[in-house]
Amino acid sequence: MHRDVLIIDDEPAIRRLLMGALDRVGLSHVEAASAGEALRLAAGPQRPAVALLDLGLPDRDGLEIVPQLAALGVTIIVLTARDATEEKVAALDLGADDFVTKPFDSAELLARVRSALRRKSGALVDPHRRDFEGGSIDRAKHSVVIDGTPVPLTPREFELLWALSEKPGRVMTHTSLLETVWGAAHRDDLDYLRVAIRSLRKKVETDASRPKLVMNEPGIGYRLASLGDQSD
Amino acid sequence: MTDPTPERDAERFLRIARMAERGRLTVYLGAAPGVGKTYRMLQDAARRQAEGMDVVVGVAETHGRCETAALLQPLEELPRRMIDHAGHQLEEFDIDAALARRPDLILVDELAHSNAPGSRHPKRWQDVAELIVAGINVATTINIQHIESLNDVVAGFTHVRVRETVPDNILEHAELILVDLPPEALIERLQAGKVYLPDTAGRALANFFTPLKLAALREMALRFAAHSVDRRLSDDLETSGETGNFVAGERLIVAVSSGKGGARVVRHAKRLSDLLHAPWTAVVIESASARAVRGSQREQLADNLALAASLGASLMTVAADDISAALVDQARQLRASQIVIGKSRRTRWFEWRHGSVAQSVIRKANGAAVHVVPLDEADDKPEKPKEPFTIRANSIAVLLVAVTVGILQLVRPWIALGAIDLVLLLPVIVSATRLGLRAGLWAAMAAALSYNFFFTEPYHTLFIHSPAEVVTFAVLAVVAIVIGGLAGKVRRQAKTSVGVARLNASLARFAGLMGGLSGRDETARVACREIGGLLDVEAIIVALEDDAIVVRGNDKYGRIDAIDEAAVRWAIENGVATGRDTGTLNAADWQFHPLKTSLGTMGALGLARPSQERVIRPDDAVMLASLVDQTALAHERIVLEGQARQVDALRERDRLRGALLGSIAHDLRTPLTAVIAATEAIPVQGDYAEELRIARSESRRLQRFLNDLLEASRIEHGTIEPKWESVDMTDIVTSVLRDLRQDGPGARVATRIDSDCPFAFTDPLLLRHVLINLVDNALKFSSSGSPVDVEIDCSGDQVKCRILDRGPGLPDETEALFERFHRLEGGDRVGGSGLGLWIAKNFVEAVGGAITAGNREGGGAAFTIALPVASAKEKDGGPSDA
Repeated sequence: MHRDVLIIDDEPAIRRLLMGALDRVGLSHVEAASAGEALRLAAGPQRPAVALLDLGLPDRDGLEIVPQLAALGVTIIVLTARDATEEKVAALDLGADDFVTKPFDSAELLARVRSALRRKSGALVDPHRRDFEGGSIDRAKHSVVIDGTPVPLTPREFELLWALSEKPGRVMTHTSLLETVWGAAHRDDLDYLRVAIRSLRKKVETDASRPKLVMNEPGIGYRLASLGDQSD
Repeated sequence: MTDPTPERDAERFLRIARMAERGRLTVYLGAAPGVGKTYRMLQDAARRQAEGMDVVVGVAETHGRCETAALLQPLEELPRRMIDHAGHQLEEFDIDAALARRPDLILVDELAHSNAPGSRHPKRWQDVAELIVAGINVATTINIQHIESLNDVVAGFTHVRVRETVPDNILEHAELILVDLPPEALIERLQAGKVYLPDTAGRALANFFTPLKLAALREMALRFAAHSVDRRLSDDLETSGETGNFVAGERLIVAVSSGKGGARVVRHAKRLSDLLHAPWTAVVIESASARAVRGSQREQLADNLALAASLGASLMTVAADDISAALVDQARQLRASQIVIGKSRRTRWFEWRHGSVAQSVIRKANGAAVHVVPLDEADDKPEKPKEPFTIRANSIAVLLVAVTVGILQLVRPWIALGAIDLVLLLPVIVSATRLGLRAGLWAAMAAALSYNFFFTEPYHTLFIHSPAEVVTFAVLAVVAIVIGGLAGKVRRQAKTSVGVARLNASLARFAGLMGGLSGRDETARVACREIGGLLDVEAIIVALEDDAIVVRGNDKYGRIDAIDEAAVRWAIENGVATGRDTGTLNAADWQFHPLKTSLGTMGALGLARPSQERVIRPDDAVMLASLVDQTALAHERIVLEGQARQVDALRERDRLRGALLGSIAHDLRTPLTAVIAATEAIPVQGDYAEELRIARSESRRLQRFLNDLLEASRIEHGTIEPKWESVDMTDIVTSVLRDLRQDGPGARVATRIDSDCPFAFTDPLLLRHVLINLVDNALKFSSSGSPVDVEIDCSGDQVKCRILDRGPGLPDETEALFERFHRLEGGDRVGGSGLGLWIAKNFVEAVGGAITAGNREGGGAAFTIALPVASAKEKDGGPSDA
């Protein structure tokens, strides 16, 4: 029987809270208190779509099972402490989609889960076209349309937006964006990315000083606002 | 002269602190007797008394002059102390009465006076020094020729050497008042019988009173006074922390020799160091031959060194054979810019033979100025080391030759004549090597005569037949001289190295023993036992603990006499050797050496000897200095080890506290996460809406507290390691507003961001943390509904971020805001941990920025963070974008 969410946390109180929150919005779930249990469930008949993963697990480091879960096709949202930046970046680079910082707000958490589920279900109709909040990008036609208006982009800006729009809502680390758009040799040239993001925002945002589309996670990376999670 | 090192600073302040408690010394300085010093002193004293000062006359010599006696009339006079000496009643200044009376100012005439035997101090200047240490102001008088460093200059042109001298350092911090009288006027006064001259020295002193000599003395007095004003000026500059141009960086080194002339060289060096404001070091170079000098000369050397120490030099002894090389080497090590040496007037022949140390120093001195002080030969005649056992040795040498000749006579038929002179060399060489140069020469003479007498034709006569025999004679003599000289040198060197080796071995053993001890009592006991054994004396260690005398290290001496106690205190307070055989309190049974360490003086080492001879033999002075140093070091180590143990305990406690804090914070976080998630999952409505609202806001507050505590402990443990990157302030502000739920409809925060502002170079997460705190505070502090503004712009090479509210504003003392646990007065708004702004300040500074607070125009608070701009390297986002 298919389940929406796999809750992986060794704290029973947190698990019960998460289950309550998911129940209220009608999402089905299954819980695991250890890494081993989580892997067994993810590979089992319940085939959860999204995993809420606490990295502090009793049997193994949560980071270790990120690639395995991702390989099983599970969209991973990591639950971490506020100051664990390196942990977040590592999890994202290993294949996690998103993170939620503890102590979390259940409304925000649910929004992230819903966004992840949408990414999961949104079948790619056209491999050359990607939609995002308020616009779309078409690789074949090399065109970007925002609020119905075509926006001319430089090749670099286009590549950047294309990379971000693969999975709107998913956080892409600075390094992975730099590698994808500029190549592995430039993975540490953060200035390139900052400059390109700024010029991209001037073209696609209504107010470049209050971005709503190209969002930053300080010290971690960028994400494109996912469909439907504007202004919660 | 003034290195601006922390140690020097600390030393300076300690000195000033000590000076502040001390009495002031006013010295009335005259060029010659009769200029009116006492008169002037009494006049000033009367004026002071009229001004309400408590003035007492300790001792004043009127010399029967009625004008002076009249001045004494209104002043209180301390009764003199009567001392019996060899049937005479002597009147002396009563220092105990003065200390008990404690006036504001005491007059003690004639600073250079020698006290009668049996007084506390042998010299009056020592009485005065004690009064000053006790905090009593003293006025006194002195004539220029009594000042130690000028003593031989004056003697040089007046041919009168005064024995009563006062060390310069006592005048160092004194206020000098020059009592000046032109020579003509003084001579007039002398002729009018107004100048008192002591009977004994009357005729000699009369030598002073020629216009020429008086003029010279007057000039010296004027120069001395001027120089003293100079020094006080530089002292004042030092006190005020200013460093003027007078800092010359000069340092002076003087070679001290054992002769009487050594004292002259030392005094010369002192005068030079005064003129240059330079610290100076007196060095004794102990060559092998110098080590061989004995008795009176070593005492002379010790006296010369003591003189240098009393004139403010630091002392040093170096063992080396080449005097000039060792001296130049020391000068280089000490970075001395000036070298002072003495040079005897010797014949050219003497210099040619022995070489001149002065010449050689001048040749080797690299860049340093060399001052050569000419000495009379009598001053500095080195006593030739005596050859060992002369008469017996000479007889043995001749006997050796006789035995050789006897043997040669027996084997004569089998030896060629050519071999005989070679064989005769044998006793010469043996004598010269084993018995000394003189014995070698005797052997050479005996051998030459025997050769001539027994082995050359005509036999059994001393008739010289051929020039070859003269050559043989000469060869034998030269061999004796050369070998004798060499052997003598080798022997002396061997003796020196044996002596040095023995000294070093003793010191090493002592240091080894001291290093293994770990208690004050134990250290004292072992130190006393070893020092007693090495120097053949009785030893104790005395410490001042809570101002009480504690004697350690020797069970035989649990207590010491009152005079010894006084000597201990003097030694510890003044850092000089005191007591028996020294210049201070020499009626004491013990001689005390202060144990000086970097932590201060740790007590004193007391030494005594049951017999009447000197406690420390001159030969042992060097070893004693090392032993005192080692003992002081051992004491210092014990104290430091104690402190280190305490620090270790504190550090361990700190570590535990940090670990505890960390684990508490972690353990609190998890349940708090659940609480927050739970309260926020419940919709705020119904009967308990208000309670729920409280639960939500209080749990959020608890979370902030916890975060503040964790951040504070990170700051305190220095574990903040900023990750530097270029940061777009737009990103930070957007993220902050999202975190504070200020990015949607109903947001109270308005942003004004200059979107062309350069990137800042900083740590984004620390900066975000700071901004969250500041914006959250601004929201809380400003009245509900009023907006909070966040502005980003740039000026020059800084990115500025301002957080502005319309709340009650800040008090004037904005600096205090950033202190730990500072809370704003303001009724119900108070509620933070008091750490927020302190953390903000620490974080901003850690990321290379600065934070300031102030009030906004039109009311409200304004916080400004200034951050450095990232270096403009790639502005176009990569090559293909350009």
